[in-house]
Amino acid sequence: MRRLSSYMMPIIVAALYLFLYIPIFVLIVFSFNDNAFTYSWLGFTSHWYYDLFASVEVWHALKNSLLVAMSSVVLSLTLGSVLIFFGSRASVKRLLVLFYGSLAMPEIVLAVGLLSLFSFFSVSLGAITLIVGHTLLGLGYVVPIVYARFVELDVSLIEASYDLGATKRQTFFSVVLPLLAPALIAAGLLVFIISLDDFIISFFCAGASVQTLPLYIFAVIRTGASPMINALSTLMLLVSSFFVLLFSFLHIKKTRMPQ
Amino acid sequence: MKIREKIKTFISENSSFIFSVPAILWQVLFLYVPLFLVLYTSFKRSADSALLDITWEHYGALCNSAYFYIIARSAMIAFGVTLLSLVCAYPVAYFLALKVHPHWKNSLLFLLTLPFWTNFLIQIYSWVFVLDYNGLINMALLRCGIINEPLHMINNTYALFFVMLYYYLPFMLMPLYSILEKIQHDLLEASMDLGATHWQTFRRITIPLSMSGIKTGVFLVFVPAFGEFAIPAIIGGSKYMLVGSLVSHYFLVARDNQLGSAFTIVSGVILIVCALLFNWLCSVPVQAAHKEVE
Repeated sequence: MRRLSSYMMPIIVAALYLFLYIPIFVLIVFSFNDNAFTYSWLGFTSHWYYDLFASVEVWHALKNSLLVAMSSVVLSLTLGSVLIFFGSRASVKRLLVLFYGSLAMPEIVLAVGLLSLFSFFSVSLGAITLIVGHTLLGLGYVVPIVYARFVELDVSLIEASYDLGATKRQTFFSVVLPLLAPALIAAGLLVFIISLDDFIISFFCAGASVQTLPLYIFAVIRTGASPMINALSTLMLLVSSFFVLLFSFLHIKKTRMPQ
Repeated sequence: MKIREKIKTFISENSSFIFSVPAILWQVLFLYVPLFLVLYTSFKRSADSALLDITWEHYGALCNSAYFYIIARSAMIAFGVTLLSLVCAYPVAYFLALKVHPHWKNSLLFLLTLPFWTNFLIQIYSWVFVLDYNGLINMALLRCGIINEPLHMINNTYALFFVMLYYYLPFMLMPLYSILEKIQHDLLEASMDLGATHWQTFRRITIPLSMSGIKTGVFLVFVPAFGEFAIPAIIGGSKYMLVGSLVSHYFLVARDNQLGSAFTIVSGVILIVCALLFNWLCSVPVQAAHKEVE
């Protein structure tokens, strides 16, 4: 019995990894397949990657996605860190629950709510409404992450800064922000990825004028995919693995620091 | 000049209030006001009726077994995905957290987080690619002569269930792993030293200690799975409506915001009831373990 279970566990783990990776692996392999219509292998080509770089639509969607993601990162980081530093600790602690709301409900409810709000005040949908939605999503992650780091900070550092005659603003920029930097970077990365990845809020709040990368992919998949999407997926996989490495590097650095 | 200085002193005196307003205002204006608006719209008679022309008729229209089946089906699928992902993820998280050599841990974790960070449409598309009517499995089976005609593997509830399981597994794995990693080996060893079997140790020590991770995982999977909209839209299974698909249909296609809002509210209430039920279910084994100790 003991022997059996000691073999079983690694097998289950290996099966799960296979389950997670087989479709991704297939996707990557077939981005090099020289066959536009069926799935049979006709030879190696990098032709889909050239097509991808030549496609105006993809670049346009990427530009929109990056614009929305960066604006949401900047907005949510600014709003979040300012709230956490300037707000009194007791009130921020009490208000924290306000920011969990967006995580506790299905995204489609947020999307429907935002859509109702915009249509109620007849705001036309576009990049701005999308940034509003993604910043809302972002705040739900930024505030808890940055707050957790802020509470761990040594209060005496902030007090020392005041004692030495710094104003609140000076303390914020030259003491608190540098100390919070790892948490801010981690939260910023997370919001960036979430915004790039988001489909539901984008689907409801972007309107017809702004097409982000997920919306483009969705439209193409629905109308019958081309291997170009495989090529795009492969590149996006590369980018996200880079981000995961960066994130885990930051995390390792952060956990090693106290020693 | 004087006014400027006055403003400056006002700002510095009330900075804690002034600077905390924007974030809170954002959250209230774009999260809580919209929710209230959805609630209000669900009572509104029609899109252009007067502000206070309130009616229950949309809720009345929802008292129909068709709507009940849609909600029940969504809840069943979400529940199945949650349960199965818990069963699949627990041994893996347990193994990674407690059994794997530290040398391998980081690379295995990296491989686990990668799909989590990958664009979710790509994850779903990769399964379409494999399961499609002209997809990889059908191609392979046809080539090998095992089947004569392609199988219909996509566009049904099984495919939907399978792909949802694939997508939500990491959401279950992460919290389970992070809670299991914190369990101290001493506790497990102490239990074994005191004569407990592996199974008893697992049931009385490991599971109660990891319950908060189980809870987090269950919520992270069940809540979005209940409102899932994109996966059914891509995988199909269009024969059966789900909550997410119907909500998006009302708001984006039929433009019937009143009925759509009412349906959203009803589904939301049922979701909350399910969540409370899960919360209660998760606390049962912990209490049972406490009782046995006493």
